[in-house]
Amino acid sequence: MTSTSPTFDARGLADILDASSPEQLDALDFGVIAFDAESKVQRYNAFESQAAGLSPQRVIGEPLFTNVAPCLNNFMVAQRFEDAADEGSELDDTIDYVLTLRMRPVKVKLRLLASANGVAPGMRYVLVQRR
Amino acid sequence: MIGAADSVESLRAEHEALMQFLYLAPVGLVQAGIDGEIVMINPISAQLLMPLSPDGCLTNLFTALEGVAPGLRLECAQFPKPNGMVFEGVHIHLCAEDRRGTPQILSLTLLKLDDARVMAVIQDVTAEVRRERQLRQSDAWLNAILTRISDYALAAIDRQGRLCDWNDSIARVTGFGEHIVGSPYSIFYPPDAMTNEHLLDRLREADSNGWSMDEGLRLRADGSQYWCSALIAPLPDREAFGDDPSAPAYCLILRDISDKRAATEKRRQAAFCDHLTELANRRAFFEAAELEFDRAAHTPRALALIVFDADHFKHVNDRYGHPAGDRVLCDLAGVLRDTFRAVDTVARLGGEEFAVLLPSTGIEQALASAERLRLAVSTRLVAADGAEIAYTVSAGVAVLDAGAGGIDLLLKRADEALYQAKAAGRNRVAAWTDELTHHADTPQRSRNAG
Repeated sequence: MTSTSPTFDARGLADILDASSPEQLDALDFGVIAFDAESKVQRYNAFESQAAGLSPQRVIGEPLFTNVAPCLNNFMVAQRFEDAADEGSELDDTIDYVLTLRMRPVKVKLRLLASANGVAPGMRYVLVQRR
Repeated sequence: MIGAADSVESLRAEHEALMQFLYLAPVGLVQAGIDGEIVMINPISAQLLMPLSPDGCLTNLFTALEGVAPGLRLECAQFPKPNGMVFEGVHIHLCAEDRRGTPQILSLTLLKLDDARVMAVIQDVTAEVRRERQLRQSDAWLNAILTRISDYALAAIDRQGRLCDWNDSIARVTGFGEHIVGSPYSIFYPPDAMTNEHLLDRLREADSNGWSMDEGLRLRADGSQYWCSALIAPLPDREAFGDDPSAPAYCLILRDISDKRAATEKRRQAAFCDHLTELANRRAFFEAAELEFDRAAHTPRALALIVFDADHFKHVNDRYGHPAGDRVLCDLAGVLRDTFRAVDTVARLGGEEFAVLLPSTGIEQALASAERLRLAVSTRLVAADGAEIAYTVSAGVAVLDAGAGGIDLLLKRADEALYQAKAAGRNRVAAWTDELTHHADTPQRSRNAG
């Protein structure tokens, strides 16, 4: 990808990702999981697929917090998305976390993105960068 | 014939399916070194452990669970066999209050594979335990009816819990004579095992459940003690007596079950005691607290909580080693047991942190008890490999506000007071005040204070 490739901590990243093609997402050097209001996974980029050892076909359309990444189903991650949705507020938090990629504990930074309700019913994102 | 590319592809697909199987397993699975260092871990484990992990890492299983299950490392190290089940389905209590589906109780199974490796299974069993608890109540009731009994005392008591009459069965089982008519039924209990409020709580519980049962040491007239199961049930025809406050309203049945005690105690010990100190564990503490808060919600009364923390405990461990540190904790546990009443719940909450729940106790009395404990500890010397270790404790005291909050809030306040005692130089007792909560740099958990 060219130098216009957005970084993990870029401002307005949700909008950039919304507008990116699958090829552009696959070229990023961090994991991208996009999911809809029902928590169904809609996009899953190559970086994340490679790290987790799961092909996108196994993941797309599945509920994120129960069938794809149950490790995020607690108050530190899933609850934040629920709270933001309940309050109709925007979510843009970055937290330190440990993922169990291929059953190995891997320290990562997670960026949690959700737009405010009522604006656009946009994608929600969990972005994954290794620390 | 199948080509090499096809077989690699089918291996790859199989591997991916296996991986997904592990990702989706609805129980936590961990493989770790004998020292707890995590080698492999599945997502449910991370879901359950990450909120507990004090360092935000999942590098070590025992470290991740240290705050809620302090004895694991020791128990694993002391397991005598070369391989086998270290423990199975041990319950770990996390917090007392339901926070929107947050797990409250985890079950942990630890299997030693060999000298170098262990496997763990972790599950959220909150709902299951709640169901079990209800069943246990029914079991106790059936036990009371069905177990062979050699003798029992039957007494009638009035609405205030006073004995209405006396008969031969009371004399046989308890040795008390006729003069006890008019006394509260607490005369059958050791003096420190019953409060005036508890006396009435049991009557109310009998009213709402149809019966109330407890088991424990009871007192005979000659001062000797016996293990007793006591049942209180409302009398069916008590309305016939009208409003007469001294008319019989309940029957009380006392059964001497001393010979069953060993078995009962062993079961209790396994489920409700801390492995190292044999004090109450977190589970027993939070169950006792829940009961006290339920009772206080119905009939307001004083309730105090003291948290104790051994000062500079890390220093003791570093200088004298963990076995010596454990001896200090056991010594502290002994002083706690001697200082507090039978009706108080003395528990080890984690590491070097202890808590005592004192029913029907106000701030003055709680501060005095905490101070007595602190003073007693400051004179102790614990022998360890030729050395004698002196140690001190700090304490934080909080009392229940009229109706406000639950055990988590009370614990938080006691922790804030404890932090205050630590900050003021340790080896002292502090009471919670309003200002402490608004003090910005109070850490969430006192154990960070050292």
